Amino acid sequence: MPLQGKVIGMLAQQIVNGITIGSIYALIALGLTIVYGVLKILHIAHAGVYAMGAYLGLWAYRFIPNLFLAMIVAMALSGVSGIVIERFLYKSMLDKSRIVPLIASIGLFIAMEEAFRIISGPYVKAFPVHFRQKPWIFGSVRISAPQMLVFGVTIALLVLLWWVISKTRMGKALRAVSMDREMADALGVATERIISLSFFISSALAGAAGVLVGVFYNSVYPTMGDIPAYKALAIIVLGGMGSIPGTILGAFLVGISETFLIGFVNIPLPRDALAFIVMIAVLMFRPYGLLGKE
Amino acid sequence: MKKWLLGSLIGALVVCLGIGTLFAAPIKIGFFAPLTGFAAADGTSAKNAVMLAVEEVNKSGGLNGNPVKLIVYDDRDNPKESVAIANKLIEKDKVIAVVSGSYSTPTRVTAPIFNKAGIPMVAGYAVDPSITKAGPYIFRNGFLGEIEGKAAGEVAVNLLKAKTLALFTIDNDFGRALSRGFHARAKKFGGKVVYEHAFAIGTKDFSAMLTKVKGLSPDLLFISGYYEEAALAVKQARELGLTCKILGEEGFDSPKFLELAGDAAEGVVITTNLNRDDPRPFVQDFIKQYKAKYGMEPDMVGASSYDAFMIVANAIRKAGTNPKAIRDAIASTKNFDGLTGLIKHFNKIGEVMKPVQVQVVKNGAFHYYGVISDPEIITPPEK
Repeated sequence: MPLQGKVIGMLAQQIVNGITIGSIYALIALGLTIVYGVLKILHIAHAGVYAMGAYLGLWAYRFIPNLFLAMIVAMALSGVSGIVIERFLYKSMLDKSRIVPLIASIGLFIAMEEAFRIISGPYVKAFPVHFRQKPWIFGSVRISAPQMLVFGVTIALLVLLWWVISKTRMGKALRAVSMDREMADALGVATERIISLSFFISSALAGAAGVLVGVFYNSVYPTMGDIPAYKALAIIVLGGMGSIPGTILGAFLVGISETFLIGFVNIPLPRDALAFIVMIAVLMFRPYGLLGKE
Repeated sequence: MKKWLLGSLIGALVVCLGIGTLFAAPIKIGFFAPLTGFAAADGTSAKNAVMLAVEEVNKSGGLNGNPVKLIVYDDRDNPKESVAIANKLIEKDKVIAVVSGSYSTPTRVTAPIFNKAGIPMVAGYAVDPSITKAGPYIFRNGFLGEIEGKAAGEVAVNLLKAKTLALFTIDNDFGRALSRGFHARAKKFGGKVVYEHAFAIGTKDFSAMLTKVKGLSPDLLFISGYYEEAALAVKQARELGLTCKILGEEGFDSPKFLELAGDAAEGVVITTNLNRDDPRPFVQDFIKQYKAKYGMEPDMVGASSYDAFMIVANAIRKAGTNPKAIRDAIASTKNFDGLTGLIKHFNKIGEVMKPVQVQVVKNGAFHYYGVISDPEIITPPEK
């Protein structure tokens, strides 16, 4: 292969790699941004829900060895856990200073990680899904079956989310609550139900992300939420707190920048610092994030 | 009549000895490892193996007639907690010797405390070079990163005959030391490093680095890291269609690596210190017992901690319960038959001298590939 073709092939492969990572980031960070939009709290335990989704998916997959059914079970149960967290933890704290739910959330996150460890042991568990699908090969670009799975599920969930939020009455109410909760309440929107709904959607997305990561990296373990806990934060700040399109854009930007900076520049900084560098670089020019409003 | 008397006398003696062991003051040995938090898997392996060693010692009558009691603490790989644990072990529990089943950080911060208190400590597998520099009471049963790196360099260029080399180095003291040793040895025999990238602990995605390596098509990829990263890197390498040889180190040495990497693990060669095909019966017994008791394969972290405990136990057998005498006995250990091979001796500063094992993954299990006992490689530094 001539040198130029080789470079273009590598570039294309890195874009595929970057989009895969971006898809996963998007699913994790979206829930965080939806919850922030509605309640204006930083839901750190969201990363715990994500890890729980991975465990639930693995557990369901052992009973019914069908990945899609396992994912639906994991999403449903994670979604319900989100509602429970909101009802029993955040609800009584909403009128307190914002630091209170933040600390409660961090506490819950640590408790969840230790609970996973006690229940299922400290060791990494494999998520043994065998793909019969062969990788797609275009020249020197390979798209593996797990990558196809990540793309497919992410696109399906993003379309579904767009439809719920922009085409349904529930979605309209959700947008109203996130613009001004008290005003929406005064105008007769059932805010409590909408808050529950937003936690259900967010947590179900996190659960789906957990299952995808578990399958894609063939590993599920108690502390798998550690890095997403802060990286998702960088992404929603980058995208503009509470902005859904901004978060999606931010997630793909971070995924692709990480891949390129590592694959081409070979910078000596740890990969997980890159999200924050991208965030700082964008905030210097757009202090409200990519698509955030003042 | 006489026979009956003799029989009952022997019986009474056996009962007395038995009761004697039961009621004799237990010998207290301290142990700490990360049993919760991110490093819990390794800490648990270390603890499980050492508990097996304690059981074995107590079953065979304890140490000089006294049973051993292991005082176990969870350090969570947290330096602050480790300091508190060290002080507790010395002042409250009054242990006479300590085994570290922990990582570098807790072992490094506690070493000067134990040394000052005059309590000997043997570190199972912590790699940081400064640990043994705390003083004469501190010993290490694991390899220094640099020695293992040199051994890996030897395997790469002389056993696997690779000329062009790529390195993925885990970004901590362990990975950096491995990389230094690897570079030095590989260079000496004409190996050329064409790519090196340092990655953070907990990295899950290696696709960007692997795509780059694929473009360079080296003969061999040397990956340093722990089994979680290692399994992902190996699996993703094969998924991306990278066909070069892959070499790893003791961080790969876990049944979890084989499980997580699956078929991609086949043919991966590692340097470590537990030889699964070791013909010595007690090694095979240990592997069997560990499997029976804990339902999983033992790993090198467990085997190294087991040996660290047995070195301490052996010293107490020889020297009694005075910590100073125990220290001297550990320092004069010669040709000790350990799980992890023949431990030749501890050098002046307390570093172990023993061969490096080379294992290969065949049919989903680690098997013998070679052993490196060239003194030029395995002799630890004297300062």
